[in-house]
Amino acid sequence: MSSQPREVRTAKQAEQEDLFFGQSVILWARWSVIVAGIVLVLWTSTDVALLTRTMPFFLVLMGVNFFLHGRYVMGSPLNRLAVTAASAVDLILITAIVVFWPGTPGLHNQFFVLYFPVVFAFALVFARKIEAAYTAIACVAYAAACFLTGTVQVENDYKVLVMRLIVIAALGFLGNYYFRIQRERLARLSQSKSAA
Amino acid sequence: MSAEHLVSPDGKWFWDGVEQEWKPKHPATGPPKPVLSPTPPVGREAMKGLSSFAGEVRSEDIAYGQTVLVWARWILIGTGLLLSFWSPKDLPTLQVQLAAIIALAFGNFYLHVQLLRGHPALDNVVYAASLADIAVVTALVVVQNGYPSPVFIFYFAAIVGISVAFPTWMTVGYTSLVIGIYGFLCVASAPVEDLPAVFTRLLMIAAVALCGNVFARSEAKRRADAIRIQAETLDEVEQSTGAGSASLTGSARQSSKGETQNVVATA
Repeated sequence: MSSQPREVRTAKQAEQEDLFFGQSVILWARWSVIVAGIVLVLWTSTDVALLTRTMPFFLVLMGVNFFLHGRYVMGSPLNRLAVTAASAVDLILITAIVVFWPGTPGLHNQFFVLYFPVVFAFALVFARKIEAAYTAIACVAYAAACFLTGTVQVENDYKVLVMRLIVIAALGFLGNYYFRIQRERLARLSQSKSAA
Repeated sequence: MSAEHLVSPDGKWFWDGVEQEWKPKHPATGPPKPVLSPTPPVGREAMKGLSSFAGEVRSEDIAYGQTVLVWARWILIGTGLLLSFWSPKDLPTLQVQLAAIIALAFGNFYLHVQLLRGHPALDNVVYAASLADIAVVTALVVVQNGYPSPVFIFYFAAIVGISVAFPTWMTVGYTSLVIGIYGFLCVASAPVEDLPAVFTRLLMIAAVALCGNVFARSEAKRRADAIRIQAETLDEVEQSTGAGSASLTGSARQSSKGETQNVVATA
């Protein structure tokens, strides 16, 4: 048996199947971000105005994810473009939290960890090029959020920023590495079935 | 039913490769009849909702997941070394950091060599190595005063490898351990106004573990389905062509079982 098994599915077939089966991971990652966001808004609001301004945003996001999860459970998940767009919205949302969170914007904002599950889940579903682009966009978005808010000033700030960017990139790499291992295993089984 | 080689997680849809679309597995036309699914009912129930987390990840899966663990650890080691030498604070901290990282590097080198030789380490060694990862990150966090330490993010790299390589109950155990230890350190060292940030960190650690394990279980299910369908196909071939094909199908069966032998190709 060769070390690189031939994939008997077409590339398009494989992508559709991977998207179908992997989509649940993205949905769960988004649920975690939504839960974190709602708890944080409820916990840290200092007045009614702030709470009524921010909470509807998360409620809408929750409704959207209910819809997406419902479609997935019913066996008609989103197509590739819609999943990518929804994942891009996740990045925009998290970057907005990092930039606009009252009191601690940019590098001092501790909610950058919200990037981690989102990037990791995306890497488990898409092929290497798309995943690399998404991870790079996440890194650039976070770095831009830190620099634009003027919170990267002393040398230690650069060190902390680099550390966080490395871990975001690492989660993307590791997720996609595992994804490719699984593809290879499935292709091998698929090949042996074809041979039979 | 060879077309049903790929079934959706809820067991109600299958991928029709000819027409390139998902189709209902049991169309609602005609009178109701008993469900005749090749998948055992218990297994299908287990794929629904949160109960789907309780599943099987075999030693073979750990062998494949080991490559992810090893690379996650190299990233931890490389980044740790880089950051240790980047404006070190004081001598004791640097000594602890370097000692822990170098010890981890030796251990990881051994595990990586084993993988390259095609002999994945014993499961218990892998479990112990992951405990060492957590211990090293925790030591670094403690040395840097708990909550203010920025190195807590390395817990994420460790948990990623654990979540895809280990069975669900072990993933839950390791993740609970990390959340418990790090949560305790943070609550003991963080000011009250930073508790929301502590909560977010802990929740995201759990979220990453959840995502990795859900994916690993989903993939294990897909492979199990593929193996089962292959076995059924081979049985059909055997029955239709007689005993003459037995030797051929026997070799085909073996090709679906001995996956571990190919781990070296992915390391």
